Amino acid sequence: MNSAEREAWYRYQHEKYGIPVEHLRREFEEELSGKNPMDAPLEIPDKMEVVFKYSYGGQSRFFRELRENKALYGAQCPECGKVFCPPRSHCHTCYQPTQWKKLVGTGTVEACTVQHYTTSSFIKKVPFVCAYVKLDGTDSLLMTNMEVDDVAKVKVGTKVKAVYRELRLGAITDVYFKPLD
Amino acid sequence: MRDVAIVGIGTTKFKSRWLDKTYYELAFDAAKMAFEDAGIDKDRVDSAVYGIYNDFFQRQYQPDAFVHDYLGLGLKPMVRVNSGGATGGAALRIGYQEVASGLQDVCLVLGVEKCADTYNYELQMATPEVLRAILYTADMTYDNPAGRTAASGFALAVVAHRDKYGNPTEEQMAKVSVKNHFNATKNPIAQSPKVLTVQDVLDSRMIVEPFKFYDNCLYTEGASAVILASKKVAESISDNPIWISGLGASVDYVMPGNRPNIYTFESSRLAAKKAYEMAGITNPVEELDLAELHDAFTGTEIMAYEDCFFCEEGHGGDLIDDGTVLPEGRLPVNLSGGLIGCGHAVGATGIMQTYEVCKHLRGEAGERQRLGARKGLVQSIGGTLCTWSICLVLER
Ligand SMILES: [Zn+2]
Repeated sequence: MNSAEREAWYRYQHEKYGIPVEHLRREFEEELSGKNPMDAPLEIPDKMEVVFKYSYGGQSRFFRELRENKALYGAQCPECGKVFCPPRSHCHTCYQPTQWKKLVGTGTVEACTVQHYTTSSFIKKVPFVCAYVKLDGTDSLLMTNMEVDDVAKVKVGTKVKAVYRELRLGAITDVYFKPLD
Repeated sequence: MRDVAIVGIGTTKFKSRWLDKTYYELAFDAAKMAFEDAGIDKDRVDSAVYGIYNDFFQRQYQPDAFVHDYLGLGLKPMVRVNSGGATGGAALRIGYQEVASGLQDVCLVLGVEKCADTYNYELQMATPEVLRAILYTADMTYDNPAGRTAASGFALAVVAHRDKYGNPTEEQMAKVSVKNHFNATKNPIAQSPKVLTVQDVLDSRMIVEPFKFYDNCLYTEGASAVILASKKVAESISDNPIWISGLGASVDYVMPGNRPNIYTFESSRLAAKKAYEMAGITNPVEELDLAELHDAFTGTEIMAYEDCFFCEEGHGGDLIDDGTVLPEGRLPVNLSGGLIGCGHAVGATGIMQTYEVCKHLRGEAGERQRLGARKGLVQSIGGTLCTWSICLVLER
């Protein structure tokens, strides 16, 4: 490939995959300069992508309450009385439809750890606390990452409260938890 | 049910990247070795079971169809199994059912996994993108957006176990890391052979508390295969069949809030219990000669000692301290190096563990041979805080 062809290749891949041109150049310069033998393994950029207009189905109210009313809801089984959060439309024990129950938004850390390394999507946030929280009035565990200045502040038994984001998207991340102090 | 034997085994090397092979080419290499080992032509196979975990890793949905085509097994029935880290063990269980039921006489069980074709261009490494691909297997609505990883899920369980029982300590976990990295130095297919000290492990960088770098397995590419056969076929074609004498499986609630606690892996205990019952084992430490346990993390290997009833609940840490699980101990664990030393090529891992136990039972394990081995255990677990569990007892 001559230099004009290489630049066109970088531009096309950048537009298709959103990879900065300097990153592409760093990775593929040698290959595109024709320095590799014909039989050497050939790598190319690629991406698997699907776009959604996803329905929350029977859990829709949970996310609408979160987005519209800054409120957390659990789902209670009318038969055994268990309250689920994450909510579910049916109790898995009694097979009865659950009923919505407003929660106060406080809870207790049941298990926690600190992540110092993680996935591409979150790696800029480390270190952060990753915890299971039992919300007051519920009988299940909600996975959350906690925003705290000092990760050592969060321990098993720490009382936490829900904080709602300014821009709420209709996702579980519209709410996060802080130690109640 | 009919007796089921393993009559052929094969595995590629476990490596951080097979740059020169696609997943189906890796599968081909393992299958070819297994057919040669069994002394049969591929056409002797009646059906196939493929253990392949992550579609992103392969960059292909329904990768099983392309493996099947590449192996030249077209028109034979096959099924793909995907049970997280337990994929290999789960594939073996389905293969066992194929033969034990009488439906088929010869079944290929093959696990394969790529992973490092995923790539983070900004950080110039695969791992964060590997973890991102894995996170799509966490609950997409409530878990995935929290940014947890497989490691943090298991770390939460290990921390809960430590809070309840006072172990595993960081030193005990480090000893498991030293053991498994060292065992890998005797295994020609291993990815991470290393002679480390306890201090090296304690000094390695923190990944997710309490796991430091050397407490974690690495991601691996590779393929492993076994050929299963009915008793009649096994006795006609093999002079060293290995029998699957015990098999147990259990799948727990994937949402840990639906479990009574997170400091023990109930599915793992049930799988071991069922496998022992079937194999007639009442005292595993005395009756087993070796065990390959799913040590994705050092702390979970220690929990597995309890889950597989090598000791009372809460005393797992004692077995690494008193040397029971060392190569010269009463019940060596992970002579292959385990996931930490040999590697974790997810779909292939449970089958690599089975390959390893077969090598010992056949007396072909070279430098790492457990002398006189007659019975071995394979534990294959995976998913959020050990959702899937499969245990197999193998005998010669
Ligand atoms: Zn109920």
